[in-house]
Amino acid sequence: MWQQLRNRFGVPLTMAIVSLMGIWLIVMVLLPQWQMVDYSFHPSLLPAERGGVKDVWSLTNYATFFNNEIHLAIFFKTIWSSVLVTGLTLIVSYPLAYYLAKVATPGQAALCLLLLIIPFWINEILRTFAWYIIFAFRGPLNELLFALGLIDRPIRFLNGDTGVLVGMVYAYILFMVFPLYNAIESLDTNQIRAARDLGAGWGRTHRRIVIPHAKPGIATGCIMTFMLAAGSYAVPSLLGSPGSRWFTQIIYNWFFEGGDWNQGAAYAFLLLVLCIVFVTVVMRVFKVGLGDIAK
Amino acid sequence: MDGHVSLSRVAMRFGDFTAIQPTSLEIESGEFFSFLGPSGCGKTTLLNMISGFLTPSEGCVAIGGTDMTRVPVNRRPTAMIFQNLALFPLMSVYQNIEFGLEVRGIDRHKRRARADELLELVALSGSGDKPVAELSGGQKQRIAIARALAVEPRVLLLDEPLSALDLKLRQHMRTELKAIQRKTGITFIYITHDQGEALTMSDRVAVMSEGRIQQIADPMTLYRQPQTDFVANFVGENNRFRGRVIAVDGEMATLDAGLPIPLIGHFSTPLRPGDEATLYIRPEQWRVGSADDQRLSLGGVIQTERFEGAWLTLEITLDHGPTIRAHVPHAVAGVNVEAELAVGGACRLDYSPNQAVVLASDEACPSSEEVVDVAATA
Repeated sequence: MWQQLRNRFGVPLTMAIVSLMGIWLIVMVLLPQWQMVDYSFHPSLLPAERGGVKDVWSLTNYATFFNNEIHLAIFFKTIWSSVLVTGLTLIVSYPLAYYLAKVATPGQAALCLLLLIIPFWINEILRTFAWYIIFAFRGPLNELLFALGLIDRPIRFLNGDTGVLVGMVYAYILFMVFPLYNAIESLDTNQIRAARDLGAGWGRTHRRIVIPHAKPGIATGCIMTFMLAAGSYAVPSLLGSPGSRWFTQIIYNWFFEGGDWNQGAAYAFLLLVLCIVFVTVVMRVFKVGLGDIAK
Repeated sequence: MDGHVSLSRVAMRFGDFTAIQPTSLEIESGEFFSFLGPSGCGKTTLLNMISGFLTPSEGCVAIGGTDMTRVPVNRRPTAMIFQNLALFPLMSVYQNIEFGLEVRGIDRHKRRARADELLELVALSGSGDKPVAELSGGQKQRIAIARALAVEPRVLLLDEPLSALDLKLRQHMRTELKAIQRKTGITFIYITHDQGEALTMSDRVAVMSEGRIQQIADPMTLYRQPQTDFVANFVGENNRFRGRVIAVDGEMATLDAGLPIPLIGHFSTPLRPGDEATLYIRPEQWRVGSADDQRLSLGGVIQTERFEGAWLTLEITLDHGPTIRAHVPHAVAGVNVEAELAVGGACRLDYSPNQAVVLASDEACPSSEEVVDVAATA
């Protein structure tokens, strides 16, 4: 790779590129991560006590987590809900991505993509607030359902997980649509036509031809959506209730309300491990390698 | 198994663009029928209407006497072989061939038995477990045929399936396709822009241009008796002489093309004295002889000479006329080809009027409708 880069850019520019990438990786990714891991294995101490006799490696911070039933429950709920968000986003995105990639004319596809992207020019917090307003007890959604005669009293959407799920599906849909779109778009349309021509209905054509081809895209979309959902803070804070807390909120509390960075670091590290495990499992299930996902 | 295909007044429009002018056509069961034409002539559109990928803007498509115009593609008794073959790359050869049977709910053992049978037909027994990616171009071709035949179609549609192969293989596959067609008795509808393919394999060929069928005929008739200028120019090579008809006698017309003598040719489409017309003579129909052979009626000067293996191609500028192209065998009786037909030298040449074709120019040209009716009733 060095050879290739040198031939293309010359020695000075190659050095600059490689060292910038190195600095980025070391200073912005590896060192902070390492410091966080280091924090998580130390007790929370006053500045004066750091480096003293009490400053020893310990698993206390992790023990705190495993001994706290509520935190454990929230952790697993976060996993489950993130999986649910990922699944829902996939279900919503797949038809959309298929339409964009194979059905729509170029003009229609461009218009559709534009309509999808424009809302994302607005800050995530504001977009989430929009859902907060829509879902409000006396908000437009309740009014609409009431006017249609579907309900006779308003529903508290923001009480449980409904608001959080809907808000997240909306917030992360593009991260699912784009990898799916790319994957489906690269499928030779004649493959679909051939399956149809051999007698396959639409269901089978998707099951046997489109979905297997789009697998890397599905895996990428699921991984991205899951990681964003599991690590989301704004959506659960705004659209959730005290009964539907997210694990990120616990981490936030340890850092900024409990003031215990060491404890917070342990929790954050657990979330990171969770995400790595999820990525690995998804890659196994979909039988895709890192290379397929990076495409 | 009735593979009769009937198109009645089908037309296809995309917005303002008419891809297919109203066309009627009957294809017999068990026939090897080709659509021949340059790209953009509408032949693929026509094929897509038969397969069901497109619904015609007007008219009806019937297969085996049943109206199929509104029947979706997956319920038609047709199977298609795509230009890029469109084998399923994530499946094995067996899975590819069995796909259509799986769709029809046929059980595993019967499927495998049928797949083995088809692999034998296409001479690829034993490669069922291979991934498609490991096959060579010709093998992929055969698997595509086997996959299409697996569903026992009444009509097999082939969309330029040989265009991706190299020349040798292409010629070999022509023979093989024809053999498979004979063995299975299925109606083959073949789309191509390669006249060699159309002429060697087909029972009948429809030549298309700009959304119209120009002529439907068996390959020999198409070559010998083109009915439109397009066909005369598109199929094979031709020398053209434009002029005015000065006399018509039975099936022979005499044309003044500005040459020292009038040209005579055979005609089969309506023609009257005074009409603008074109006379066509194929390069191999010229008789070329030495400059002093007075039995030959035209004179000329040889401009270029090209060795083509089985024959020589001469470009000859006729006295007071255009430059024509003639194919001459290496040995012509009574002529020392090397000495007497040299570049720069004069020669004499002639043709037999029976083989030359006279066609009325554009305005008087029969429309595709008439051509189709003539062919359909023939």
